[in-house]
Amino acid sequence: MLDHILSLLIFFPALAAVFGFMIQKESMRAYGVAVSAIEFALALWLWYVFDGNVSGMQFMESLPLVPSFGINYILGVDGISLFIVILAAFFTMIGIASLTDTPNVKYMIITLLFLQMTMVGVFVALDAIVFYIFWELSLVPMLYIIGAWGGPLRIYASVKFFLYTFTGSLVMLVGMLFMAYFYYQATGVWSFAILDWYRLILPESFQLWLFAAFFIGFAIKVPMFPFHTWLPYAHGQAPTIGSVILAAILLKMGTYAFIRFSLPMFPDASAFFMVPIAIIAIIMIVYTAMVAYAQKDVKQVVAYSSISHMGVIILGTFALNVEGISGSIFLMIAHGVVSGALFLLVGVIYDRRHTKMMSEFGGLAQVMPRYATIFGLMLMASVGMPLTINFVGEFLSLLGFYQQSHILTLLAGTAIIVGAIYMLAAYKKMFFGEVTKEENKNLKDVNKREWVALLPLGIITIWLGIYPKPVLEPINNSVKSIVQLMHNKATTELGKERIPDLVKPKVVIIEKTIIEEVH
Amino acid sequence: MLAPINISMESLNVMTLAPMLIPVVGALLILVIDVIKGGLHKSLYVVLSLLFLAMDFFSLLDASEIFTQNGTVLGMFDVMLIDGLALLAQFIIVIASMLFIPLALTNKRFHEFSYPEFFALFLFMIAGFQFMVATDNLILIFVGLETASLALYTLIAMHNRDKSFEAAVKYFTMGALAAGFFSFGAMVFYALTGSVEINKIALVLAANGYADIGYVLVGVSFMLAAFAFKLSLIPFHTWAPDVYEGSSAPMAGYMSIVPKIAAFVVAMRFFEFLVHSGIIWLDIVLYAFVIITMTVANMWALVQTDVKRMLAYSSISHAGFVMAAILIGTTQANSALFLYWVLFTFTNLGSFTMLWISRQKSLPEHQMSDHSYDKFAGMIKTAPVPAMIMGLFMLSLAGIPPFALFWGKIYLISSAVTSGYTILALIMALNSAIAGYYYLKLIVYMFMKEPVVGANGHIYVANATLALKTIIGIAAVGTIFAFVAINPLLEFITAFVYNSGY
Repeated sequence: MLDHILSLLIFFPALAAVFGFMIQKESMRAYGVAVSAIEFALALWLWYVFDGNVSGMQFMESLPLVPSFGINYILGVDGISLFIVILAAFFTMIGIASLTDTPNVKYMIITLLFLQMTMVGVFVALDAIVFYIFWELSLVPMLYIIGAWGGPLRIYASVKFFLYTFTGSLVMLVGMLFMAYFYYQATGVWSFAILDWYRLILPESFQLWLFAAFFIGFAIKVPMFPFHTWLPYAHGQAPTIGSVILAAILLKMGTYAFIRFSLPMFPDASAFFMVPIAIIAIIMIVYTAMVAYAQKDVKQVVAYSSISHMGVIILGTFALNVEGISGSIFLMIAHGVVSGALFLLVGVIYDRRHTKMMSEFGGLAQVMPRYATIFGLMLMASVGMPLTINFVGEFLSLLGFYQQSHILTLLAGTAIIVGAIYMLAAYKKMFFGEVTKEENKNLKDVNKREWVALLPLGIITIWLGIYPKPVLEPINNSVKSIVQLMHNKATTELGKERIPDLVKPKVVIIEKTIIEEVH
Repeated sequence: MLAPINISMESLNVMTLAPMLIPVVGALLILVIDVIKGGLHKSLYVVLSLLFLAMDFFSLLDASEIFTQNGTVLGMFDVMLIDGLALLAQFIIVIASMLFIPLALTNKRFHEFSYPEFFALFLFMIAGFQFMVATDNLILIFVGLETASLALYTLIAMHNRDKSFEAAVKYFTMGALAAGFFSFGAMVFYALTGSVEINKIALVLAANGYADIGYVLVGVSFMLAAFAFKLSLIPFHTWAPDVYEGSSAPMAGYMSIVPKIAAFVVAMRFFEFLVHSGIIWLDIVLYAFVIITMTVANMWALVQTDVKRMLAYSSISHAGFVMAAILIGTTQANSALFLYWVLFTFTNLGSFTMLWISRQKSLPEHQMSDHSYDKFAGMIKTAPVPAMIMGLFMLSLAGIPPFALFWGKIYLISSAVTSGYTILALIMALNSAIAGYYYLKLIVYMFMKEPVVGANGHIYVANATLALKTIIGIAAVGTIFAFVAINPLLEFITAFVYNSGY
């Protein structure tokens, strides 16, 4: 059973989705919750049997797909992907559980289950083509979710989303074909296996081009400035569940792919592009935070804040050291939990009032105290309050990058203050003051179904904020091996300098004179 | 006194003719049956055609067995040529024809199918294509080409709508011009080398080091123009969208597959030695053809309001895409061409058949053309299963993995990458992205808009019969589960292409 647990994780939801066509409409929601709960249980089981002390891939599976062209169905999971897989399973479950009575809820659940297949597939695929298949396939259900259940501009938003990411990934595909070709030239065998590619040491000039090709694909998905313009539309028009999945999981595909592909395959190029990417990341953090402040729609505030946090993740990733990368992976999970929760919360109020404009609210804390509490908690987490989940990730990411550049880290740090400003301003507009609108006076507080979705998120936010070790340790182990690999592969001075060598023992040299002075 | 010519039957190698003769016999038989007893139901002719095509298929299997054992076989005074390219192309031609002919068994009665001559001409056409690919003699290529083309013009005209006559005449005029170009080009090469066999032309030209380069270029220009007509490369494509629009949907689908593979094989034989001869001019011109065809056809496809015209332009774009393989000219590229075309056959057959089953006998008032986008609006609500199948074909055409065309696409782009055509590879990738838009447009109409026409969904399956549904089922299964077949297919194709020296 354990030999095929990853295939099971991928294809169980897809199979369930196919069977879903036969289920009666009324019982569809129960079916969806049951299936996604089983999937989540499987993911937790994966965590249980996962050996956190092993840094490499576990539960690997391999089947020939097109062997003459080097394409094989290879799966595996390590500390980096494990928790994102769990997150994907978790959010699909939460999302389905919190679904309100949308029209055609049956098709929505089927689509979500298909989407889950592609999401899990992306994070466990160890063959570039298999990865690409799931990566591209994830666009289709998401297109349908936004396009069929979204707001008035849904078609524009969904097509924009699709075309942006599709174009980017085609360029990435060309990069992948080049990688396979270089591997073929070096070894005489075609291979798209990622672990094979790790062994390939490329000259810097090749690395730079390939890095750029992969970068376009990933950067659009993240989305990095200036490719981010599809995201506010997608979020703005998507139904709550679409925004939740998009923010919690789909955006992570890009940042995950940076760690899985760009860093270990092109260490020199990563070191070379570190500063420009960090600058883009800081622009993302600062600029989108400012834009978020200017928004009138609370969902757009969350959407832009989401981009802003993705900037911190990128910054951590390109710190190129263990703290930074581990921090960014942890922040991916944290951002998933927190922004997912915030989108759910926006969905709660949207369900009641059918508007997301902040000017329509005010004084909600009096009418919906429990809602205000959980919103407040998530908001605190979002701005990175200590003892919440985001703090750990943000702190580590910034700490990691601090070792590379003090000034850039400082700039990024100030942006977190801006983050606090827009979030608190939004909170003030919505929750404090007098209840001015008549319609708001009788709003119902969080109901049972919403608690089911929100409470676990709140618990995770605090639990992992106080005690991140169980998640952080397996991540750390895998990241260490990746950083070491990068250091060993780096061929340029710059690469060796920016990527730390973990094997070399760190010796703390205390100068003798200081000791003498003390005496 | 001339000495009597002694020919031994063995040197004739009559079996090389067998695959072409079978459809010819079948066509004659159909005509004879009609003479003896007229007014028989079309299903008889459909099944007869299918049977003869099946026999054709088995004779091809025999021929391929001989090829794998003995290598290239020549026959009939060395005019006929059985090699890997010929066999692969004939397999595609015969299989695509077998999938096409049952589409005549529609629910509605379209009168072209009530003529037995339709089926006879159809079989003659197949024989023509088979002759065309199974030789490297320019004269026989010409004969095959014209046999097939004349039959095809008639088949289009039989559709008997206003636009069909226009389409047939347009195709005929353009085709005649192309034929003129072809024969002039062949004449130039004959004058230069004293031979009409491509391999001998190549030998002679290489031996004298392309001394008369000016004349070679003139010949190449005419040949290039002729092939560009047949392959609908821009700017020689102008007939294609109108002809596709004027002919019935399955005929249009058929035209986007079979005549093109025949032309591709001839182009491969003809340009192979020229591409490798180091004539830079030819590389540049081919490169320009490839890029312009891919890109401009895509742009036009973007603005179409009729799905069939969109598919017509997209087929042009695909042809340009595949033409890149001939430009690259490596074994991998040539194999990629066949792989791509096999996968394209399934997908395109599927999408044109989907248009065919939604064909009404006459247009309702509010509908501008047979297959306008509006007609497909909201199809997911009124006819969910056809909508999903159509969506599947669109995703495959757009190259979304893991559906069929994706595999052809990566193998073709990969062949560009391995032979140093980096820019070409990028342009191919970006063109796929542009193409994504118009395939997506149909998906958007089907899945996200409100229904405009036909609230009960019946119109989408108005023409469906069991035979048509079976064909769509085959195409859909082929499209979804292509990844299972890629490896054996790739090995088979590569072995055949490699053993023929391409």
